[in-house]
Amino acid sequence: MWAGRGKTAVAGIGFSQLTRTHERPLGQLAIEACRAAIADAGIEPSQIDGLATHPDQPFRGAGNRAGEDLVPAAFLIDHLDIGPEVEWYAQVSAGLIPSAIIEALNALMAGACTYALVWRAMHRPAGTYGAWREPFAGGDSQFTAPYGYTSPFQLHAVAYQRYMHRYGATREEMASLVTNSRANAQLNEAAFFNGTPMSVDDYLAARMISEPICLFDCDIPVEGCAALVLTTAERARDLPRPPAYVAAWGQHTAARPTYVNYMLDDYMACGASTAGKLWSRSGLGPGDVDAAQLYDGFSPSTYYWLEAAGFCPEGEAHAFVQDGRVALGGELPVNTFGGSLSEGRLHGMGHIAEAARQVSGRAGPRQVEGAEVSIALDGSPLLRGAGLLFTREA
Amino acid sequence: MTPDRPRPVLDALSRAYWEAAGRGELAIQRCEECGHYQHPPRPLCERCTSSDLAYPAVSGRGVVHSFTTNHQRNVAGFERAVPYVNLIVELEEQAELYLLSDLPAGEADWVAIGAPVEVAFEPIEAAEGEAIALPQFRPAGG
Ligand SMILES: [Zn+2]
Repeated sequence: MWAGRGKTAVAGIGFSQLTRTHERPLGQLAIEACRAAIADAGIEPSQIDGLATHPDQPFRGAGNRAGEDLVPAAFLIDHLDIGPEVEWYAQVSAGLIPSAIIEALNALMAGACTYALVWRAMHRPAGTYGAWREPFAGGDSQFTAPYGYTSPFQLHAVAYQRYMHRYGATREEMASLVTNSRANAQLNEAAFFNGTPMSVDDYLAARMISEPICLFDCDIPVEGCAALVLTTAERARDLPRPPAYVAAWGQHTAARPTYVNYMLDDYMACGASTAGKLWSRSGLGPGDVDAAQLYDGFSPSTYYWLEAAGFCPEGEAHAFVQDGRVALGGELPVNTFGGSLSEGRLHGMGHIAEAARQVSGRAGPRQVEGAEVSIALDGSPLLRGAGLLFTREA
Repeated sequence: MTPDRPRPVLDALSRAYWEAAGRGELAIQRCEECGHYQHPPRPLCERCTSSDLAYPAVSGRGVVHSFTTNHQRNVAGFERAVPYVNLIVELEEQAELYLLSDLPAGEADWVAIGAPVEVAFEPIEAAEGEAIALPQFRPAGG
């Protein structure tokens, strides 16, 4: 078991408004989310003495200017009324937001800071999201772009095609998972699709993007920010809100394949490695989890996480998500906040915030009764998988 | 409709691959120490870290590992090619050795996971204007 189990906690959670278009500078939204997280923690901004983020936008050219479409640490140091004593910060340049959270947890345990603010600010550029516009293709893209193969949804489409072929999965089965997330979003006022229900027929009628990936298999890109205040367990106990204790973190960095050679088996290997670290560090297992927040930048990723983390046998997630098993009140509620599919694309921060809320009893109308353990697994598992396991008790 | 393809920028690692394709040969980077093939080419062998790397010709035969039919107008130059199919081809020389291919959706009736394919070469220009070719995969014996 990991010596750090239960030594740190989420003390505060804050969200900005999540919008479909770029109406306000991203820096304003980030400040809004960070102030909300600090107020939620019941501390003063001047008590923040550590900062961590993964500031990058998901494709080249999407984030160019600090405060406008990108929110690096320097922007918050300059614009948030935090104390002058911020001497520790981390800005991870690759990977996912859990990587920044892991940095912050380690800094808290090392005594490098006492209250760390972690945020993820996402820009939603105008035009077709992530379109390839260049006449030339260098680097690894010289082997993909000349074939018109440049987008994450294409990568996911070939993996999901293979999954469907290998295990006999159907789009009708996926409709159960996607509509479950949409139903959960009706209980989450912050969700972009709150107020917009979806039926199985709506899902099946959606236009195809890259077969078998349809429009509603893709998450909804938004402009917005979510932020967390992290602190040590000792300090968290004295704050007004019930803490969400960190039981373990896990990360997989070994395989860095490219668009040419990243296939279904790689997703599974990366996912199993990430989840395995969470189980061995915490001493817990899939059977202990009361609510699972499983990344769904593209819906099939949730299948891969269900299998790779051991919630069901490999090849069976498409059957596992039927019959209300992953619904609120089911055997394993999944993406209780609506997921990225229905809350909005925050690249995993929404999943982490929800996992923390569930174990601290703060999930409102979607609270899983008596939730003691909740997991957030981020990544597709794509390029890098990372996750966090939270518990109600330290 | 034939797409207006983004043109490859040849570099020290990729030049041998593209020049071979221009001669009608599929040449894949291989480690001279351990025999491991890798694509895209890399500065070191990803299996044994040797820097002794060559680009021998391979058979050009393989099978369809997976595929997708693209409907989104998402790649400049491919707007009028939609819908088109991308194939992921696994070469017979080594497990998990993959190359891409594309074809119009209207010509893809034969496409299925496991379908045998062989290489064909489509003349293109590199970024600097050199005449090279793009390896494409078509039904074996077709
Ligand atoms: Zn080697």
